[in-house]
Amino acid sequence: MATAPQSQPIRDAVVIGGNRIPFARANSAYTGASNQDMLTAALDGLVARFGLQDERIGEVAAGAVLKHSRDFNLTREAVLGSALSPETPVYDLQQACATGLETVIGLANKIKLGQIESAVAGGVDSASDAPIAVSEGLRTVLLELGRARSTKQKLAALARLRPRDLAPHAPSTAEPRTGLSMGEHQALTTAAWKITREAQDELALASHANLAAAYGRGFFDDLITPYRGQLRDGNLRPDTSLEKLAKLQPVFGKSLGEEATMTAGNSTPLTDGASAVLLGSEDYARRNDLPMLARVVDAEAAAVDFVHGREGLLMAPAYAVPRLLERNGLSLPDFDFVEIHEAFAGTVLCHLAAWESEEFCRNKLGLDSPLGSVDRNRLNVAGSSLAAGHPFAATGGRIVATLAKLLHEQAGAEGRRGRGLISICAAGGQGVAAILEAC
Amino acid sequence: MATAQDSYLNLVSHPVAREIAGRFGLPRPAVLRRYRPGEPLLPGPVLVLGGSGADALAGPLPDLGLQIRRQAAHGERLGAIVAVLDEVAGPADLAASALAVGAALRELAPGGRIVTVSRQACETLPPAAAAARQGVEGLLRSLARELRGGATGNGILLGDGVDVDAPGVTGALRFLLSARSAYVDGQFLLVGSTDGQPAAEPERPLAGHTAVVTGAARGIGAAIAEVLRRDGADVVVVDVPAAGEQLAAVANRIGGTALQLDITRPDAGARIIEQAGRHGRIDIVVHNAGITRDKLLANMDAERWDAVLEVNLAAPLRLNEALLASNLLGPAPRIVCLASTSGIAGNRGQTNYAASKAGIIGMVRSSAPLLAARGGTINAVAPGFIETEMTARMPAAARQVARRLLPSLQQGGLPRDVAEAVAFLSGGAAAGINGQTLRVCGQSLVGA
Amino acid sequence: MSPAAGTAGFREVRLPELPSVPRLLAQAAATAARERITGGARPDGLPAVRHTVADVQVDLEQLTRFQHLVGGTVRDTLPSAFLHTAAFPVAMSVLARGDFPLPLPGLVHLANRVSQRRPVHFIEPLAFSAWVENLRGHHAGTRVDVRTEVSAAGGTVWEGRSEYLAKGVFRPGLDSTERPPREDFRPPVPTARWWLGPEAGRDYAAVSGDFNPIHLSTLSARLLGMKRSIAHGMYLAARVLADLEAAAGGSHEWEIRFAAPVYLPAAVALRIEDLAGNGHWTGSRFTGWGEHSRRLHFTGTVSALA
Repeated sequence: MATAPQSQPIRDAVVIGGNRIPFARANSAYTGASNQDMLTAALDGLVARFGLQDERIGEVAAGAVLKHSRDFNLTREAVLGSALSPETPVYDLQQACATGLETVIGLANKIKLGQIESAVAGGVDSASDAPIAVSEGLRTVLLELGRARSTKQKLAALARLRPRDLAPHAPSTAEPRTGLSMGEHQALTTAAWKITREAQDELALASHANLAAAYGRGFFDDLITPYRGQLRDGNLRPDTSLEKLAKLQPVFGKSLGEEATMTAGNSTPLTDGASAVLLGSEDYARRNDLPMLARVVDAEAAAVDFVHGREGLLMAPAYAVPRLLERNGLSLPDFDFVEIHEAFAGTVLCHLAAWESEEFCRNKLGLDSPLGSVDRNRLNVAGSSLAAGHPFAATGGRIVATLAKLLHEQAGAEGRRGRGLISICAAGGQGVAAILEAC
Repeated sequence: MATAQDSYLNLVSHPVAREIAGRFGLPRPAVLRRYRPGEPLLPGPVLVLGGSGADALAGPLPDLGLQIRRQAAHGERLGAIVAVLDEVAGPADLAASALAVGAALRELAPGGRIVTVSRQACETLPPAAAAARQGVEGLLRSLARELRGGATGNGILLGDGVDVDAPGVTGALRFLLSARSAYVDGQFLLVGSTDGQPAAEPERPLAGHTAVVTGAARGIGAAIAEVLRRDGADVVVVDVPAAGEQLAAVANRIGGTALQLDITRPDAGARIIEQAGRHGRIDIVVHNAGITRDKLLANMDAERWDAVLEVNLAAPLRLNEALLASNLLGPAPRIVCLASTSGIAGNRGQTNYAASKAGIIGMVRSSAPLLAARGGTINAVAPGFIETEMTARMPAAARQVARRLLPSLQQGGLPRDVAEAVAFLSGGAAAGINGQTLRVCGQSLVGA
Repeated sequence: MSPAAGTAGFREVRLPELPSVPRLLAQAAATAARERITGGARPDGLPAVRHTVADVQVDLEQLTRFQHLVGGTVRDTLPSAFLHTAAFPVAMSVLARGDFPLPLPGLVHLANRVSQRRPVHFIEPLAFSAWVENLRGHHAGTRVDVRTEVSAAGGTVWEGRSEYLAKGVFRPGLDSTERPPREDFRPPVPTARWWLGPEAGRDYAAVSGDFNPIHLSTLSARLLGMKRSIAHGMYLAARVLADLEAAAGGSHEWEIRFAAPVYLPAAVALRIEDLAGNGHWTGSRFTGWGEHSRRLHFTGTVSALA
């Protein structure tokens, strides 16, 4: 029998810290800034925070959901423009809104395997600088023109051009297979789980209050670097109230009539922003006098079939989390902090309802009893996407850095190693969950 | 790096314009000799005047790469004239040295240096000795005003029990002779102890030291961070979160780390100690962060007054307490605070600012023994008119007066002139200087 | 080629190549016009003929355009709706016969039922055959089934039954059925939405060859008594199937029943749901309706072949 190849034993990967630029509502402060610009800014802030100038990082991975074709090597270009060593290798990754979290997971795994010592995970998205494509008709004609040899062939190709082909195509958040936007999908799931308008508005209010309080105590001083004059998340409304939220008209699920509950207040707006997270082995952190906030313990991805009407589009984390908990022998009360990405207030509330539902847990998860409840006092305690905004691929980095710091603070204050759970839903019926543990 | 520019200085540096400025009696400021690593300390040999003290003083100078002259030779351009007056005991003892310096002045090269070395006048002295020692200060300050071509005159005062060959004296002399002191003019440095040692790496005197600079996102703070880094320190730059983008740019330019922090927060000390402490210890802290909220006192409100006092004075006081209480201070800690000539001479519309900056001078004096007990020092640097974004917002006429008429160097200083003084006070060569306030003002009339 | 059960005794008409649909349409229109002038009578029964075209090779470019148009994946195997489309000219040639008892122009598509026996690769030479059967009454006219078969390598790989209505045509001997009570349709929660532009009919005509004027433009549709152009029924079916056939695998059957026509442009809401909720896919049910009109357009099922 051949001997197995020698490999490093599995070791810990730790979150050292993070940086993001404040998130700005689309077409506001970052208008004109490209994904590459914003990602570079996030990287540069991270480099400055941890003194990584000219350092060759083991690997950098980031991505964007709305991506120009010219940005095929987006992250590499951003690194080349940043203060990191140009010899830092890079790859791009895309998993819709889970992009940021997935880069953390992939790179943490590389660190755990001993393949790299340090890594930067991140993500960026711009709704203001979104790519606009030519129509399929024009594209086909242009491609054929390129292939045409003779003038006759070229004229033939051009002759196929129709006036309507000249209209540009902007990207939408509609699911390609269903034609429904994310909000419309969630509106249907929200209605199916009978989540009330009041419950959604309360969650939105809590998000704004928690984010504002976190700013107030300087929590984000070492998590955010201002950019282009934007000092704080542009979507934050510290003075909002249930009364103000109640006045907003539903924007999604209008076909539901009376049951339409999702407004601009309890849904995330289109947002621009970028985030980055510094990861390393414990040895790397110690050698470089860097802090260790939290270990990346484990992660799980899931996907649901929303095309055939079997599950709501954004419900995949409801499946990922139980699988992750089971593998780690944990239950919901074992977590000091729970970060559920607030794509919509309804998304979070549907997840909470599903985990409390005996029927869902039995039929869909195959559990004997409900997964359990999430203590609201542990949920999104420093605010989440409803208040901060949601630049798709940048949200994972925001949440990982926020949670790692929360765990580190708690460890410092209470002297115990707390645990945190992350749950992020993504387009295409996907979801990713992860566990962090204080160092 | 300073975005603010003195366009008049740039203009009159041109030969034709310089000629015109001369005909019309306009000021003809010189382009100051400023430090660049690797350049000689002085543009010519140094003439050392005086008795046995002069011999002792000259001893270590060749190690600094200087050529020593004990007598002026006609026709030789001198880089500096050092007058050692450590033995003056009565008014009559001043004449010989004063006139000898005067005779050699013609040979002083542009950007040259005059340095007097004398003993401090203190209350316990006989009146005649005190008079003579104090006389040196008047002599030097007036002489400094007579110098042209970017030359400066400064003095070193020897404290009790400190001899001319003390390392602190050599260190101070080296600073004053060098281009690092370009905008220091008409000032005295008191060497109060025999502590100090020459740096192992003269080009990187702060190598291996960790420094914290507050208010480092721009202007003088950014220049301080750059100079400390140039001199070898690992620098943690601190500024308010709102200035984070510029702060990150400074950190990335110099290879330091950025800490976004409002220093008035109650936990500011703990946060600085946590971040800078990662490097194992904190050797240098520069309290540079400062704000102005100018108003005539009659129109002053509590908000303006409190904000200035809080940022400029209360926060450094708290930070020092936290630092002294922590076990992360290095073995020879250095604290350098930014005062201001406004805090010395006062400035209309700046009661709050001047109070805070005068407060800094008091804080430094009183904290000196605490630092000395830890093997360290605390000093202040008081800038005069410095070309920064802040002074660029002054009314144009006031700006020209502040630049041209007040300082004997006939120009504003640059942020890095302040930074050089801070870096000097942060190094081992300045170990003997404690509790002092060094003005970097081009010998502005303000505060004499 | 072995005739399928039910066509014993039918005369086999071998066509040399796939007929041209526009020519058939023109020919049928001419016949109808002549009948209106001369008052020529049509036979009472259905012709006992089976039209066949052998050795048909699928046009790969047309297949690609079809797959893209209906939102499917470009694969080397043929979507079942594409086979319907490919064989459609043969079916049409039966309907355009002079001895076919109903006028071709204005025939309304009521339902389809298709069995896909196995995956068919695009390089396989195919034989298409078509016949008509089951002429019967309807409360609004006369119905007939058009049967189509696709064979490859000597075996039947695909069978289709399309139900057509000749509106307002009542044949002697066929009792018109009672109008069934109108079912109250309450739109369910949708799982998808299609936005069909005014060009949807022209686009599908271009990839399917079905240039029936009722699909092409408002003007051409009005000439045939429609208020606007309407979407091809098979286009609607093909779009649903693009989502469902991958789950169904190579051997499955489906049916679709059309209620109200989809007037273009339109926003069609769609719901797809499992036939059984036990977690194992046995089949899906689908429903399409007007997102704004809330009128039912079609219902159907897809299920695995046992």
